[in-house]
Amino acid sequence: MPFISKIQRQTDYNRFPSSTPIVIDNGASYFRIGWAGETEPRVIFRNIIQRPRHKTTGETVTVVGDHDTALLRYFDCTRSGPRSAFDGDVVFQFEIMEYILDFAFDRLGANGSRIDHPILITECVCNPVQSRSKMAELLFETYGVPSVAFGVDAAFSYKYNQLRGICERDGLAICPGFTTTHVIPFVDGEPVYKGCSRTNIGGYHVTDNLKQLLSLKYPNHMARFTWEKIEDLKMEHCYIAPDYALEVRLFQKGSEEAEDKTRCWQLPWVPPPTEEPPSEEEIARKAAIKERQGQRLREMAEAKRSSRINELENQLHGLEFLLQQLGQVQEEEIPSFLSKTGYVSKQEIESTITKVSQSLRKAKGEAKAEQTENEEKADSSDKYPLINIPDNMLTAEQLKEKKRQIFLKTTTEGRQRAKQKRVEEELEREKKIREDEERRLENPELYLEQMRTKYKELFEKVEQRKRLKTNGGHGNGNSSSGGVGRGERLNAAQRERMRLLTTAAFDRGKGEDNFGAKDEDWQLYKLMSKDNDDDDDGPDENEAELARVCSRLQEIDPTFVPKPETAPSQSTAAEIPRVRPLTKEDFQVVLGVERFRCPEILFHPNLVGIDQAGLDEMTGVSIRRLSTKNEALEDRLTSSIFMTGGCSLFPGINERLEAGIRMLRPCGSPIKVARASDPVLDAWRGASVYAANLQFQQQTFSRADYYEKGEDWLRQYQVRYTL
Amino acid sequence: MEAEVIKAELVLPTHMSFKRTQMYEKYPKGQSKVRWKQLKQIIQAENYQNYDPDEPNYVNIESPPSMQPCKRICDITGFEAPYHDPRTNLRYANADVFKLVRSLPNEYVQRYLALRKAAVVLR
Repeated sequence: MPFISKIQRQTDYNRFPSSTPIVIDNGASYFRIGWAGETEPRVIFRNIIQRPRHKTTGETVTVVGDHDTALLRYFDCTRSGPRSAFDGDVVFQFEIMEYILDFAFDRLGANGSRIDHPILITECVCNPVQSRSKMAELLFETYGVPSVAFGVDAAFSYKYNQLRGICERDGLAICPGFTTTHVIPFVDGEPVYKGCSRTNIGGYHVTDNLKQLLSLKYPNHMARFTWEKIEDLKMEHCYIAPDYALEVRLFQKGSEEAEDKTRCWQLPWVPPPTEEPPSEEEIARKAAIKERQGQRLREMAEAKRSSRINELENQLHGLEFLLQQLGQVQEEEIPSFLSKTGYVSKQEIESTITKVSQSLRKAKGEAKAEQTENEEKADSSDKYPLINIPDNMLTAEQLKEKKRQIFLKTTTEGRQRAKQKRVEEELEREKKIREDEERRLENPELYLEQMRTKYKELFEKVEQRKRLKTNGGHGNGNSSSGGVGRGERLNAAQRERMRLLTTAAFDRGKGEDNFGAKDEDWQLYKLMSKDNDDDDDGPDENEAELARVCSRLQEIDPTFVPKPETAPSQSTAAEIPRVRPLTKEDFQVVLGVERFRCPEILFHPNLVGIDQAGLDEMTGVSIRRLSTKNEALEDRLTSSIFMTGGCSLFPGINERLEAGIRMLRPCGSPIKVARASDPVLDAWRGASVYAANLQFQQQTFSRADYYEKGEDWLRQYQVRYTL
Repeated sequence: MEAEVIKAELVLPTHMSFKRTQMYEKYPKGQSKVRWKQLKQIIQAENYQNYDPDEPNYVNIESPPSMQPCKRICDITGFEAPYHDPRTNLRYANADVFKLVRSLPNEYVQRYLALRKAAVVLR
């Protein structure tokens, strides 16, 4: 069940006299505060703060605890992630702690000039004195608290349940918390810290592990895997398998039990609206629209063409007029007349005229294209007039001209020949396909058989070649490698090349290597490169043929299944990820193995790289550290094993722990594992009961004590839990 | 401040009557200039070696490394993984998973390794 934050401002602060202590359970996950003697804490919230900037005013504000994410849209949260005052289970960020205490006291309803109640606050086991002193300083100085007591939350929980009879005076408290897990032995009702053991793994690591696994498995839905959601999933679905290997084998086999244990989270998904096939009217309408658009385009093109023709004609007329005028003008006045019009000489005007008339012709006559083609053919002999004239009859310039014409002629002829060949090939291919079809139609069975055998042969050949390439010289690798270390990777061509080179070197004089002295020696390389090329082309042909046959078979034979290639490097490269419509299944997050894989890290922290003992081993360590030779005491300890803390809510943890501890203890020793009545709130309740006790006041220390006695005393300060 | 934000009392008020010194007086420039000591530094400053090693303190109650043989599970599926890929350093359970392992882009490989704190850290 998800934790609920209670942050309602309390109104009865003034009802409580100054002697009523305030009880604070300062946990890494949740902060609980309330009055001593009550059964429920008044205010509960998540022990984090955020300092976003307000978008419009720009001021940085503080938001404590978890909150309605919708309201945060007024704030710019990019540079402010949630921050915690804790590092592990030790408070180190006292500024954040101050914000949190502010918020807590405010919601408790505090008013007046100081907090005038003694405070009992929880801390971690063997809290470093620096952290402790800073906390005390904060409480004394800033809040004006009269007296303070520090206690361990697991111990309070143990005492509370001892009163209830769930555990005995001697026992072991196992507290898997949010960031750490502790095992504390209790002797005569007091915790013995000498035998205490702490592993830095907790609920935070489990949630983090689950989050990472799901994000990696479903990268498309990563945005949905928020911390809060994953915590909810963890609390609802995760369990601890009694034996990890057995459980995982169930899933590996894919048995029915595994199916039952798999949970599926359906993300909200809206199926895309199915497109109905367009009706008749739709089609007709669309065709009409297209027709109209085509018509419009054609008209536009027509209009443009005619306007261009007009323009050109005008230009032509103008130029001709100019020419006429020029004819009428006197000889001397030609240059000045011309400079006014912008043309330098008569030739220029004439050339522009010819150009304009040419473009006019082009604009007018698309239909003339065929005519020009015919003209070309007819002109071939005219165009290259100089070709037929022998060389000695031409001048130097004309020779150059002739060479150019020869070149042009050969290129155009070559192009025509190529086109011809292509057309012929097309015809041939069509003929072959037709023949094939006929053969198939007349005798389908035989045809199919032939195709299949051809496919098999080709496949074999391709496979063989591939195998040769990768295992190359395995048959004779050791001998022919010679000086080359990577013998098995050389294929036939490369071996041939090596052979040629070495023989060339050895063919020369005894002991002397004058390979390159003569020019003919280098002809050797001509032999070699040819070999290389052959090898690369060969398999391509075979593979192309294979692909063709394969596709053909797929078309005609319904029972044909293409054999998977052993080294499908080409096929995977050529596979374009086919886009198929997203189905409902794409939006499902399946939790199968993750359900019990994530909590497993409590027992095996080295699954996440933390090299420490797991829960069951820690009990052994703890008992060993106590180093009592008293067997009876050890038996008493194991017969009252008490679990508290948020992580002990996983189903199946009791049995697993029992089995684990049984492996560590001598055969036959009594083992009993009990869980706290409410692992989450019992620590606070225990503290509340403790603070309500009349002797509590003697366990606290006041401001005067703190300043007089100094740090050493603070280090030794421990609360006595049995009052 | 928008009306609904004020109504929901989302933001921590800046002045608390029960405090002797307010936050804005203590930290005039917004964030505190004091660099808080991280846990590692706190532990170092404690000088636990000067005290009796039998006395329990934050450092010596830590658990020792595990005596049990390391459990090897497949990084991707969670099954038992007797095999290990030398190229990517991932553990895998069978041939199908191996195909998947070899087809992963490097980013995913590093993220899977980071689950076990075995990723290559370039720092």
